[in-house]
Amino acid sequence: MRLLLVEDEIDIQSFLRRSLQEAGYQVEVASDGKSGERLAIDGSFDILIVDLGLPDQDGITLILHLRQLGVRAPVLILSARRSVDDRVRGLEQGGDDYLTKPFALAELLARLRNLLKRNSPADRESTRLRVQDLELDLLRREATRGGKLLQLTQQEFVLLEYLCRNAGRVVTRSMILDEVWGMRIQPDTNVVDVHIYRLRGKVDGAGQPPLIRTMRGVGYVLKDR
Amino acid sequence: MSSRTGRRPIRSAAWRISLWATLAFAVGTTVVFVFLQSFVAGDIQRRTDAWLSGEVEVLGDVAEHTPKDDLYDRVVGEVAELASREVPNKIASESEPDNAVFFLQAGSDGALKLWVGQGNGDEYLKSIRAIKLLPDRPADLRVPGSNMPYRVASIGTDDGSQIYLGLSERDELRVLWSLRQRFLLLWLLIVLLGFGIVFLATSRMLSHVRKITDAASRIGHSDLRERVPTNKRNDEVSRLAETLNGMLDRIESSIHQLHTITDSLAHDLRSPLTAIRGKLEMSVSQAADGEQGEQIVSAIEELDRLTDFLNKSLDVAEARADALRLTRSSIDLGERVRVMIDLYEPSMSERGLRVNLLCSETVQIDGDEALIHRMVANLLDNELKHLPQHCTLDIQVRRDNGNAELTLEDNGPGFDSEVLQHIFERRVKGRGSNGHGLGLAFIDAVARAHGGEVTASNREAGGAHIKVTLPLASAAELDGDVAAISAEPTDQA
Repeated sequence: MRLLLVEDEIDIQSFLRRSLQEAGYQVEVASDGKSGERLAIDGSFDILIVDLGLPDQDGITLILHLRQLGVRAPVLILSARRSVDDRVRGLEQGGDDYLTKPFALAELLARLRNLLKRNSPADRESTRLRVQDLELDLLRREATRGGKLLQLTQQEFVLLEYLCRNAGRVVTRSMILDEVWGMRIQPDTNVVDVHIYRLRGKVDGAGQPPLIRTMRGVGYVLKDR
Repeated sequence: MSSRTGRRPIRSAAWRISLWATLAFAVGTTVVFVFLQSFVAGDIQRRTDAWLSGEVEVLGDVAEHTPKDDLYDRVVGEVAELASREVPNKIASESEPDNAVFFLQAGSDGALKLWVGQGNGDEYLKSIRAIKLLPDRPADLRVPGSNMPYRVASIGTDDGSQIYLGLSERDELRVLWSLRQRFLLLWLLIVLLGFGIVFLATSRMLSHVRKITDAASRIGHSDLRERVPTNKRNDEVSRLAETLNGMLDRIESSIHQLHTITDSLAHDLRSPLTAIRGKLEMSVSQAADGEQGEQIVSAIEELDRLTDFLNKSLDVAEARADALRLTRSSIDLGERVRVMIDLYEPSMSERGLRVNLLCSETVQIDGDEALIHRMVANLLDNELKHLPQHCTLDIQVRRDNGNAELTLEDNGPGFDSEVLQHIFERRVKGRGSNGHGLGLAFIDAVARAHGGEVTASNREAGGAHIKVTLPLASAAELDGDVAAISAEPTDQA
């Protein structure tokens, strides 16, 4: 996967480059809008990460310009602004995504994956999900572990489904809130943890190897092996 | 909108102004007319008096020089008759007998000697006796049985008899009467016309003021781009509009400056935070589980708390300055609260709290989705942090007086009375609270940015009561699907 990172902060550039490379991306870096534009047109990238606060131009202007020039690759917008303005909303509706700084690496990677998945033929058609001995029937909204039916509420099923779809990868609390509850909030209290705790109580019953692991400071992961 | 209620003309300032202006005008013209009328009346009387004095002198002369024989009556009578034909300002009248003039001579003994005129001479004489008539001073006379007043002049003759000449004031009164009539007609016309003109002029002027008011009230907390309408006339109203617009320019530019400051502050703080967090995250994946990893993880958690505090502080700072930026969309408040309660319910029941949601109608608002979410989350965070075990939280979403109302009532200890007074100020927090004291300030700020408000009080039965009022979405077509979306009250515990 070829990825173009347009970001002017050297510190962020360097750690992003390293972690993105570790995650398997081929990363090119541009430090301003001009060189970013040149690179984006020349190289065929699968995905772009664009910071909004570029030294020479506004990130949104760059994205809109690239779109006009026929660059189709999805864009993950990084914003240090707190509120997301209408133009970012517009891009979001157009298939791009945004992330406010500071962010968890896990979330950045997850959003990149989502963007790439959106652009490739959907693999969501399957009606069953399977992670180790955990099985989810998406049509009947039923989950079994080791063949035993789990008594889950609607909400818990959706949460478990989300964890299964991202099995083996870390999901952050804000990703869970965004994907399962559809809201970008940062609660002062550990509301997500309590949901996970309850779900874990049902999924990881006594005597079974635990599937849901807490990654402190980051989020949760559903172990796939 | 408050300016709408003033649209009834009777309540408008234009109505009052025209009423007062017309009143002043009417009183003024009446005073002028009264003056004019008395002038005209005085002038007519002066002429009448001059004629009377002249004629009575002639008659006195004639009476004196005419021999007192049998012909005396006839001669004097005829002279008097002749005089009456020369009455000034005479208006011919067919309906009434011609009794414009009378001539009366009383002897030295006071008895009626000669009478020329209509009616009974004695009656006239009696009336004359009743008023003290001075020679050369004509005076008004009213005779019983006749509805016309007379002007009477007298002169004494050498033989001691008195000669009276009376002239009916009928014509004079008629002139004055028609003058009054015409004046009244014209006066009414002018006053009505004046009222109409003043009303039209002032309401035209004030309609401009009303447009300014409407525009100014549309310029909400968040949308400062709009300006009040101006016109080309360089009058007070247009200067008011220009001044308002100038003020809005200044406010907009200071808000813009505030945005720039908070944005660059946020940017300057966030970039290093991002870099630090990223590096920490990378090193935690390298450091195997152990004490070092534990320390890095807790550093990341501290960093996240710091970020959260930074976000909230900047939001509250902007909101306090009425500078929160809203991206509005249509939001079903009840639905959002329901989802939010789904999220919070496990934490609540974990702490032994019961939550009830009552929402039996669609409550649609026009708001910033992210801010509304965070506001509701803050409210629930607040309850979760402060309610002791086994309390119940009742949440209600409903429509009231064109507003959306979100009410949270609990049966906990309520607010400290000293905290309650400053509850929505920054950094005010209850005893034993472990938050940073921005929660309620933020809630208040979001509500105000949406044109609503928050009130907090203690219930009489004990417990806290928080009410968030937000304006409903303006679209009226939402009424149709009330039944479709309304749900049975959620009862979770």
